[in-house]
Amino acid sequence: MSGILETLGRIYESTLFVYGMVLLLVYAMLALLSMLAVRRYAKRDNYHQLDILSSSPLAPGITILAPAFNEGLTIISNVRSLLTLNYPRFEIVLINDGSTDDTMQQLIEEFKMVTVDFAYNEKIRTQPVRKIYKSTDPAYSSLLVIDKINGKSKADATNAGINVASFNYFVCTDVDCILDKNTLLELIKPVMQEAHKRVIAVGATLRIANSCEFDEGVMTRMRPPKQLLPRFQEVEYIRSFVLGKMGWSYINCVPNVSGGLGLFDKEIAIRSGGYDHSSFGEDMELLTRMCRYAHDNHVNYSVRYIPKSLCWTEAPSTLKIFNRQRTRWARGLAQLMHAHFNMFLNPRYGKMGMIIFPFNFFFELLAPIIEFTGIIVYIVLAVMGKINWPYALLLLLFVYTYAIMITTISILWDQLTFRYYKTWKEVVYLCMTPFMEFLFYHPLIVIYALRGYYYFLTGKKSAWGNMQRQGFGKKK
Amino acid sequence: MLDIQVPDFLEPVVNTFRYAPLAIQVAMVFIIIASLGTLLAYYSILRSRYRGYQRDKKLAFLHPKIDNLIIEEVLTNPTLLKDDVPVAHVQLNLEPFQELPLHKKWAREVLTERIIHFRRNVRGNMGELLRNLYLQLELDKDTMKKMRSGHWEKKVQALVEFTSMDMSIADVTILPLTNSRNRELRAAARHAYIKLSKNEPFKFFDVVTEPLLMWDQVELFRIITTTQNIAIPNFARWITYSANKSVVSFCLKLVVHYNQLPAVPAIVKLLETKDHYLRADAINCLGKLRVPDAEDKLIVMYSSQPLHCQIEILKAVGRISSGRHVDFLKQEFLHSTDFDLRKNAAKSLVKNEWTAKQVLEELLATANAENLRILKHCMNPLIKY
Amino acid sequence: MSKILLVEDDEIMPKIVARILPPSEYELDHVSNGKEAFEKLEATNYDYDLIITDIMMPYANGFEILSRVKSPDREKTIPVIIVSNAGNEDMIMEGFKLGADDFLKKPIIPAELLIRVKRLLMKNK
Repeated sequence: MSGILETLGRIYESTLFVYGMVLLLVYAMLALLSMLAVRRYAKRDNYHQLDILSSSPLAPGITILAPAFNEGLTIISNVRSLLTLNYPRFEIVLINDGSTDDTMQQLIEEFKMVTVDFAYNEKIRTQPVRKIYKSTDPAYSSLLVIDKINGKSKADATNAGINVASFNYFVCTDVDCILDKNTLLELIKPVMQEAHKRVIAVGATLRIANSCEFDEGVMTRMRPPKQLLPRFQEVEYIRSFVLGKMGWSYINCVPNVSGGLGLFDKEIAIRSGGYDHSSFGEDMELLTRMCRYAHDNHVNYSVRYIPKSLCWTEAPSTLKIFNRQRTRWARGLAQLMHAHFNMFLNPRYGKMGMIIFPFNFFFELLAPIIEFTGIIVYIVLAVMGKINWPYALLLLLFVYTYAIMITTISILWDQLTFRYYKTWKEVVYLCMTPFMEFLFYHPLIVIYALRGYYYFLTGKKSAWGNMQRQGFGKKK
Repeated sequence: MLDIQVPDFLEPVVNTFRYAPLAIQVAMVFIIIASLGTLLAYYSILRSRYRGYQRDKKLAFLHPKIDNLIIEEVLTNPTLLKDDVPVAHVQLNLEPFQELPLHKKWAREVLTERIIHFRRNVRGNMGELLRNLYLQLELDKDTMKKMRSGHWEKKVQALVEFTSMDMSIADVTILPLTNSRNRELRAAARHAYIKLSKNEPFKFFDVVTEPLLMWDQVELFRIITTTQNIAIPNFARWITYSANKSVVSFCLKLVVHYNQLPAVPAIVKLLETKDHYLRADAINCLGKLRVPDAEDKLIVMYSSQPLHCQIEILKAVGRISSGRHVDFLKQEFLHSTDFDLRKNAAKSLVKNEWTAKQVLEELLATANAENLRILKHCMNPLIKY
Repeated sequence: MSKILLVEDDEIMPKIVARILPPSEYELDHVSNGKEAFEKLEATNYDYDLIITDIMMPYANGFEILSRVKSPDREKTIPVIIVSNAGNEDMIMEGFKLGADDFLKKPIIPAELLIRVKRLLMKNK
C-alpha cells in the first residue's frame, strides 16, 4: 500500500516538476519573442506617419461598434470622443441594448436623432431591433444608433451592430472605454502592411483607467491606479499584453483579441457566425471560431497585436465585482475548451491546434487546478511532517523571484518603447506591485477561476447577465 | 569540485547547494539569475527614463527658440513681400542662429525636424525660404552623411529629409535602393525617386515584383498627387502590361484620381481578367470615371459574375447614371434573392432618379414590406451607405 | 480691423498664420480645439468676421464648428475657411455641405490664404 502511494507521489512530483519547467521556459520564450516583436514594431513605427493615412482617400472604411446598457451618466461625452477620432472614413454604430435609464433619450436630444427606415438585414440572429436612428445634424452624419430589446449579453448587442455595419472592418469596443484619438489609424495599419496574409483581427494594449484623468472623454493624464486591486490588474494587463500577446503575435499565435478593443474582418466574422451570446468569454470564443473558419476554408490568415496602449478601461475596484469578472472569464475559458476540444492537438488546425490550444489547455485552464491540488498535497505532507523545509522554501523563492523578473521585464519593454506615465515615482510604484502580487493577488485569481469552473460544471444560471461591467464605478 | 574560498556567511548556502538534488541546484541558480535580471531591468528602466527626460528638457528649451528664430528671420523676411526677387537667391541672416548650439549634432537634427514640420504646413515662397535656411546652415551635409551610413534606419531618415526638402539626388544613388530587401528602405527610396527623379519618376512600376502593400499605395498616392511639376504618364501602360496585380490595381486608383479617360480601353480589356478581385476594381474604376460606353458590357457580363463583382456593377450603373438601364436595375431590385444586390440596385435606381422618377413611384406603391424599407433607406438623405 | 478666429491643434500653424495676416489689419485669436472654439464664440457672442478651422481635432471637430456657426438660428453668418491636410473627397464635400465657404489644403501657400481671406471678408461686408 505505502509502496503504491510512494510511486504515485513520485509520478506526481516529477509531472509537476516538468509542468513547472515547461511553464517557466514558455515565459522565458515569450519574454524573448515579445522583445523582438516590440522592437521591430517600434523601429518601423517611426517611419510610418499616421497623418498620411489620416488624410488619404485610400483609407479603408471602418465601423465602430459600441454597445451601451444604462450608460446615462457618461454616454454623451463618450460618443463625443468617438466622433472626434482621427480617421478619414468611419461610422459609429451605437447599440442601445434596451437600457432602462435615459440613455436613449439623452442621445436623441443631444445629437438630434430621428428614426429612419433602415434596411436592416439580419445576417446574424439577434434580439429584435426596435428602431434605428440617424442625426438630422450633418455634423453627426457618421453616427447611427440602434435601439434594440435587451439581449442580456454584449455579444447579442454587438451582433446587431455587425448587421448594420457598412464597412469591411469593424472595431469593437465598450462604450465606457476611453480610446486614444489615433486608435483607428493604429489598428488598421497592421492590416495594410501585411503582404501575403489576410489579417482577420488586430488588438492593442488595454490599460486601467481608474486613476487617469479625463476631460469629456479625452484622457489628459495617465497614471497607474492608486488603489491596490486595480494596480495589480494594471501590472497583469501589461504582462499579458506587452509580453504575452506581443510574444505570441511574433509567431502568429495570438490566442485572443480582448473585448475592450479589437479590429475584425467583417466578412470572416459574419461567416463564422458572429459573437456567441451564450458564451461567457465571447471575445476569445469569436476569435477561435474565426481562426477555425479560416483554417477550414484555407484562408491564409494572421492575427496581430500592437504594443501601444490605445484603450483605457475601468477596472473592478472591489473584490465582489472583481470576483464576478474573473469567475466569468474562467467559465468562458472552460466553455471554449469544451466546445472546441476537437481542435486540441489536431494538426489540421496548424498552430491553432498544435500551439495555442494546448497552451491554453495546460497553462490557462489547468493551471489553477494544478496549483490548488499542489497546495493541498503540500499541506497534507506538512501535517505528516514529510517536508524538507529548506528545499521547499528555496523552490518557493525560485518561483517568486522568477515571477517578479518576468513582470518587471514586461514593464521594461513597455517603458523602453513608450515611456508611459509622467513621473518616475509612478513607475517605482508600479515596479513594487509584483512583489505583492504573488502573495495577495494570485491566490484570488486561482480561487475565482476554480469557482468559474465549478459554475461551468454545474451549469449555474448567471445572475449578472447584462454586460460584465455593470456595477463598475462610473467616472465623471 | 574546485575549492574556492567562500566567505563564512555564505558557507551554509554553498553547503546546501553542494548536497542538494538537481532540482534544488537548478532552483538556486535561477534565483540568482532572476534577481540579477530584475535588477538589470530596473537599471534599464531608470536609464531610459532619464534619457527621455533629458531629451524632453532639451527640446522644451530648444523648440521655442527655433520657432522664434524661424518666424523672425524666415517668415517675416522682407523679401517675401516683394514679387520680383527670386526666393532661391535670398541670403538669410544666419547670425541669430548662432545662439543655438548648432555645433552639436542633436541640435542640428532638431532644427531639421522643425523646418520639416514648418514646411508641412506652408509652401510657396515661405516654403522655399525655409529650404534656403536648411541649405545655408549646411544641414544637408548631415543628411548626406546619414545617406552614406550603413544602417537602414539612417538611410530612411536621410531619404525622408531629402524628399521633404525637395533636394535632388542622383538616380544612381536611389535606384538600387528601390529594390532593397528592407521593406522600409525600399518604400522610402521609391517615394524619394518619384518625387525627385528628373527623368522617369514611374520607372520602378516596370520592375517591381513584390506586391505593393495597401500602406505603400497610400504613401505613393500621397507623394504622386502632391508633388508639383511631375509628369503624369498614361497609366493604361501598366494596366495593360504589368504582371503585378497590385500595380494594376493601384494604377486604376490613379486613373480615377486624374480622370484619365484615354485609359478606358485598357480598363475595359481588363474586365476579362481571371482574377475577380482585380475585375471588381476595374468595374469600380469604370463607374467612377462615368463611362457610359462601358455600361452595356457590364450588364452583359453581370449574370456570370461572383457576388462582389455584381455589386460593383450595380454601383457603377448608379454612378454612371445614364438612365438607359433603369429596367435592369428594377429587375434586379424586384427579383434578386440576395439582400445586398437588392439594396445596391435600389441605391442605383435612386441615383438615376432624374429619369427613373416614375419607376420609383411605382415601386414605392407596389413593393412588399422589405423592399419598401430598402427603397426608403436608399432615398433617405440622412443615411449615407 | 477684422476679427478672425483660428481653430487648429498643430502648434506651428498659428504662428505661420499670424505672420501671413498682418496684425495691423487682422486681429487673430487662436484656440486649439472645438471645445475651446465654442467657449470663445459663446464668450464673445460670435463676434468674429471669419473663422479658419482644421477638421480633425479633439473634443469637437471642424464639422461640428461649421454646423454650429452656420446654424439657421444665427442671425449673422460668419464665413468659414477649412484648412486641413484632408485629401479625402468625402471629407471636403462634407465640409462644403455644412456650409464651408472655402477649403485650403495643407501645406498652404501664404499668398493664397491672404487673398481668400480678403475676398471672403469683402464679400461679407
